[in-house]
Amino acid sequence: MLRRIADHLFWMARYLERAEWRARLADVNYHLLVETPTKDPHPWAPLLAITGDGELFAKYYDAPSETDVLDFFTLQTRNPSSIVSCVNAARENARSLRHRLSSELWLEINTLYLDAQQWMPAVFDQQGVYAFFNELRNRFHRLSGISHATMPRDVEFDFMTLGTMLERAENVSRMLDSKYHYLLPRLEDVGGPIDRMQWAAVLRSASALEAYRRVYGNQIAVARVVEFLLFDEAFPRSARFAVDRLQAAVERIEHTAHSGEPAVFAADSPGGKLAFLLREGNAEAVIAAGLHEFLMEVQDLCADIGSVIFDKYLRFE
Amino acid sequence: MRIGRRLLLRFFSFLFLTFLRSLVVLIKAHSLRTATRRQLTRERGAEIVAIQTAVTEVAASKLSSLTPFWAAYKAHADAFDEMFNRQGAPRAGYSRVLAEFLATHADRFDEIRARADRMFLNEGVTFNVYGDSAGAERIFPFDPIPRVIDAGTWANLEAGLIQRVRALNAFVADVYGEGCILKDEVVPADLIKTSPQFRRAAAGIKPPHGAHITVAGIDLVRGADGEFRVLEDNVRTPSGVSYVIKNRLVMTRLVPELMREVGVRSVEHYPADLLASLCELAPSGVSRPVVALLTPGVYNSAFFEHVFLSQQMGIELVEGRDLVCMDHKLYMKTVGGLRQVDVLYRRIDDDFLDPVVFRPDSLLGVPGLTSVLRAGNAAIANGIGTGVADDKAVYAYTPAMIRYYLGEDAILPIVQTYLMRDPDMRAMVLRDIDQFVLKPTGESGGYGVVIGPKASDRELAETRERIQRDPAGFVAQPVVQISTHPTICGHRADGAVEVAPRHIDFRPFVLLGERPRVLPGGLTRVALREGSLIVNSSQGGGSKDTWVMAA
Repeated sequence: MLRRIADHLFWMARYLERAEWRARLADVNYHLLVETPTKDPHPWAPLLAITGDGELFAKYYDAPSETDVLDFFTLQTRNPSSIVSCVNAARENARSLRHRLSSELWLEINTLYLDAQQWMPAVFDQQGVYAFFNELRNRFHRLSGISHATMPRDVEFDFMTLGTMLERAENVSRMLDSKYHYLLPRLEDVGGPIDRMQWAAVLRSASALEAYRRVYGNQIAVARVVEFLLFDEAFPRSARFAVDRLQAAVERIEHTAHSGEPAVFAADSPGGKLAFLLREGNAEAVIAAGLHEFLMEVQDLCADIGSVIFDKYLRFE
Repeated sequence: MRIGRRLLLRFFSFLFLTFLRSLVVLIKAHSLRTATRRQLTRERGAEIVAIQTAVTEVAASKLSSLTPFWAAYKAHADAFDEMFNRQGAPRAGYSRVLAEFLATHADRFDEIRARADRMFLNEGVTFNVYGDSAGAERIFPFDPIPRVIDAGTWANLEAGLIQRVRALNAFVADVYGEGCILKDEVVPADLIKTSPQFRRAAAGIKPPHGAHITVAGIDLVRGADGEFRVLEDNVRTPSGVSYVIKNRLVMTRLVPELMREVGVRSVEHYPADLLASLCELAPSGVSRPVVALLTPGVYNSAFFEHVFLSQQMGIELVEGRDLVCMDHKLYMKTVGGLRQVDVLYRRIDDDFLDPVVFRPDSLLGVPGLTSVLRAGNAAIANGIGTGVADDKAVYAYTPAMIRYYLGEDAILPIVQTYLMRDPDMRAMVLRDIDQFVLKPTGESGGYGVVIGPKASDRELAETRERIQRDPAGFVAQPVVQISTHPTICGHRADGAVEVAPRHIDFRPFVLLGERPRVLPGGLTRVALREGSLIVNSSQGGGSKDTWVMAA
């Protein structure tokens, strides 16, 4: 397989995953605010902190009002991580490799792209925020279903998995971090109804609420949510799950490419470190030692793995 | 292409049945039941004749009265109408199509067209227009009324096309080899040496079995007399074949019952034929050649076609930056390291192919590719410098070329062409410049063509000046009254779909491998603007499915 194709596959998958997370985050925040009205004058500001987009937002908008943040998150092409921008970027990558994609997958990506060009700010008024994001989430599920149903499980699929899982591990970690730091300004709320509501929202934005309840029952506690979203082996949007899939895909690629270089997941490499953290760690210990520091480390390691993969397999010029 | 063969087999086995079935449909519709039952009991040969006659008669006499749609159709006053003769009866090949489809489905044309456009857009069957903002993609509008070519006409066309492309290929080999045709002064040597398409670097490259031209697209038009004439040769990187296949796909998807009823020859084996022709170019000793398609990238106007063909052939689609030349060998950069490439189907122009030899600023090509070709370690299609053969001035010499190399008269006539480098011809043309079509020799895609009778005085004055400044850069041709075809053209005031004559041309595709292969079909382009003669996709043209009838 061409390195350029591998690069396009990686980024196509990565942008689709990113778009999906953006949609989830915006959706959940919206519902959180509907259910628990707040006195905070800028209840949408934390969302910008989660994604690290505060500065960029301030360049184009005055205050983080709901309308503006939704616009920035969803439609704003000057925001390279808006849903439309991610969809455009995914489609641009897909276009360069569509001869390698199943026609069903290409058709789905292309129609999503064509529809996204028609989105206007009025779309939230016309369809309703809930219906809009619900439809969008279904389309991302459909994309994932079509990929799984139509793409051969070969190296090309592995490169898509790399993009998806790396982005996923990073996003889970970022979301947890934000809840820990930004959604909870007052100490007296810890463990209270608002706190639980917010943690439930975090779970819901990862489509994890039902799965969490199957494991831990009805009670929502910080340590358990952290345990579930970081360390659960079976849940498809946990960091641990993402890293397991990432490693399996990388090892298949290494096997095919017969490269003599040290493996991406060698013990002292970023991959090896991340795998160790997520397989051997547990929520109690991590919270005791500082969750924020742990999450930062996870994000840094994800970035490092990304550059190792780029150097080894994607760099072609 | 297993499916293609199966379909073909099915088609043959259903051939006779199809005749019968179409007959039965007609009988029901037109109360010829008893008469034809008697015919059915006759001998097979006589029967087919009888059926054909019945179909023609029914179609000719009843159609206009049957459907107001066709009754409203007014053929062009001067041009050859592809579907109806002067008496208003359908021409050979059309009667069955008319009876089976065009009469009964007229009310669905609008829907078919809308669905086809939607399908093309969603599937990304698009082209980019140069000059538009980057990434502006357009669909090639599709007209649902098919163009039909009967089996007899096609047989003649096919023979003429093979003859022509063989001669053009021999010419390229000669020009970059011995140069016999120039020494014998059949074609003036200075015409070649000053041609903007002449590539000195091509001298000394010897492709396997002498195939410089692997893929040719020959543009044909039908004049007022109904005879097919060659308008232009395209032997560099002709495009459009993906639309031939996609248009057919649309028709079979939208009117599936129809394709079973009418005996149309399949076009879907083209990618397999192309791959076979490309594999035949592989350096000797390579048993399973690695073939790749070289594209300039996503912003190229024909990018969809590059994607489509590489996908259909199951080969890599590469850009220049995916390739590297080392030790006179060509490689692509894969995840597992370098992999040698044996045959490159390049869809980029000579100028951009190899910055070492051609334009040094090109980022699209592969430095060192020419030396790989010269060493014989890889082959490309089409070869370097084939453009000398489709130069619009060289075109005037093609009948002589065919006689020279093949000892035959040209089966397909060309359009009378005056070279502006010739002072007498130039004087004659400039005297009545508004009576001619003026074409720059180096351009393709309809760019720079001036149609005398339709041009403004200012355009004509400018053209005159350009010709005088650069006589060798132009040729002139009489205006060909190119044929028209019934085409959907919007709606009448009462909301009904309107059908009107529009000018069309035809680009069949010829593959020259170890043996020639002609795609039974081709791209019919239609000038959607009333009166327009320019059919190019970049200039407001659309396309039709082209049905070459099996019998």
